[in-house]
Amino acid sequence: MDAAIELTELTKTYGARRGLAGLTLRVRPGEVFGFLGPNGAGKSTTIRLLLDLIRPTSGSVRVLGLDPGRDAVRLHRRVGYLAGDFVVDGRQRVGECLDFLGRLRGGVAPATVVSLAERLDLDLTARIKSLSKGNRQKVGLVQAFMHRPELLILDEPTSGLDPLVQQTFLELVAEAARDGATVFMSSHIMSEVEAVADRVAIIREGRLVALDTVADLRARSFLRVELTFAEPVPAAEFTGLPHVTEATADGTTVTCRVDGPPDALVKAAARHTVTGLRADSQDLEELFHTYYGGDAR
Amino acid sequence: MNAVHHLPGTSAAARAFSGSMFGKTLWDNRRVFTVWAAATGLLTALYASMYPQVSSRPAAEMPEAMEGFGLNDTVTAAGYLQGAVFGLLVPLMVVFYGSATGARMISADEESGYLDLLLAHPISRTRLLLHRFAALAAGAAAICLTVLLVLLALRSSADLGSVTVTAFLAQATGLFLLSVLFGALALAVSAATAWGRAAVFGTTAALGVLAYAVRGFAPSLDADWLKYATPFHYYIGGEPLRNSFQYPDLAVLAAATALLLALAVRLLNRRDLGR
Repeated sequence: MDAAIELTELTKTYGARRGLAGLTLRVRPGEVFGFLGPNGAGKSTTIRLLLDLIRPTSGSVRVLGLDPGRDAVRLHRRVGYLAGDFVVDGRQRVGECLDFLGRLRGGVAPATVVSLAERLDLDLTARIKSLSKGNRQKVGLVQAFMHRPELLILDEPTSGLDPLVQQTFLELVAEAARDGATVFMSSHIMSEVEAVADRVAIIREGRLVALDTVADLRARSFLRVELTFAEPVPAAEFTGLPHVTEATADGTTVTCRVDGPPDALVKAAARHTVTGLRADSQDLEELFHTYYGGDAR
Repeated sequence: MNAVHHLPGTSAAARAFSGSMFGKTLWDNRRVFTVWAAATGLLTALYASMYPQVSSRPAAEMPEAMEGFGLNDTVTAAGYLQGAVFGLLVPLMVVFYGSATGARMISADEESGYLDLLLAHPISRTRLLLHRFAALAAGAAAICLTVLLVLLALRSSADLGSVTVTAFLAQATGLFLLSVLFGALALAVSAATAWGRAAVFGTTAALGVLAYAVRGFAPSLDADWLKYATPFHYYIGGEPLRNSFQYPDLAVLAAATALLLALAVRLLNRRDLGR
């Protein structure tokens, strides 16, 4: 198997509305893949195509080497899925629900379920409708992980989880990856994904706008330097300097964007009396928003 | 940790039913189905036990236009039961049961998003639909069996002895097929439209009431043939309470159900699931 997930020119239109517009993507076996984009970018559409819940308008989908449309049942045996809002019949108890879902999969060892529930602090005897949104989501986490699937497809999995449980969730993802599973995880929050993901794709309006390792995305980020002087200094003094891509002056403060070594900037600033200096590296969240907005600020 | 043999929060009964989609659906709906069966049984008991009083009074005049509804014979046991009980209340109850349950089986879960989760499991759409239909049919069987048992229990005390046990069984069988027919219709509407539960139930139940009215008014409209287009004709037109099993009629109901079910399977397999 060359790819865990292979999307080729995948397009999905809903009437006149476009869900996906020619998305091409390869997820390697064993990697944790972050799938990012704002709400409505096409993340859930992609995931529902992977699971054969909806059918592509054009293009092709291969998951674990299978065609989801033709081999749905065989494929689903090897996949764990969790949606952002986990919904089941609320009248049943947590244990009943997991027992049934496990048996749909041909049976899951009760001990596995019990230990997952313990880690997530989930009461198996509670009625589902009595649970908070966060606790209901834990039921979803257990059913997605309990059969140790080869591929985990997680659509906004941490929505509603409290931070402590999010930590446990990230551990579960890391453990699954260590055991060789592939994890495809969508989110609209970068920080949620950057801790565990090997690579990250960013989609916007149904198109891929960036695909890279977390490390490379981080390397692409720039430094924002804010210099304060004893008296006003024109921005023009800095604009032409090597690696300074942008400079603006506001009174005695000059703000520069630097995409490499700041040496020239520091030497130019040293000709004046510098009363303050602040440098922030742009975090991934900000970078991510740059892609979202479609402008390179 | 000691070996865990079964999950906390599951009773032995719940586990006995959780081995298949069919069993689980039955288990999840056990209360609803019981209420339907109890309500229909109660209604049957109430009206059947009134037969001795009604038959001793002179029959009320029926308007000619209503002849097709078969409410005009209140003297014989079969005639009375064919009118008030099996001609009106009970069939409409089971039509509503079929419509409501059929709408729950796909539309309700599609609306909530539960269907996404189920179909992300190793179960095909066809299998899910057929299991759910089987659970619906089991609920319908429970209702019809309750009606049958009520009538058999009241048979001597309510002077219904002129109707044979076989005839009661034949009428209950027709009732069952009528119910699952509307269940399959609701599934076909769900599969065809992706509508929500309320719309599927409303449409299916309205079609049921319309068909009932068409069958009733057809003779007085000089369009007697129209009744052949409604399932109610095949359910009661052959007067099973007098003539016992009318196999061709039952076969028509069964065939129509199978056809609708096949259509539902085909349509559900072809379309996108909505949310």
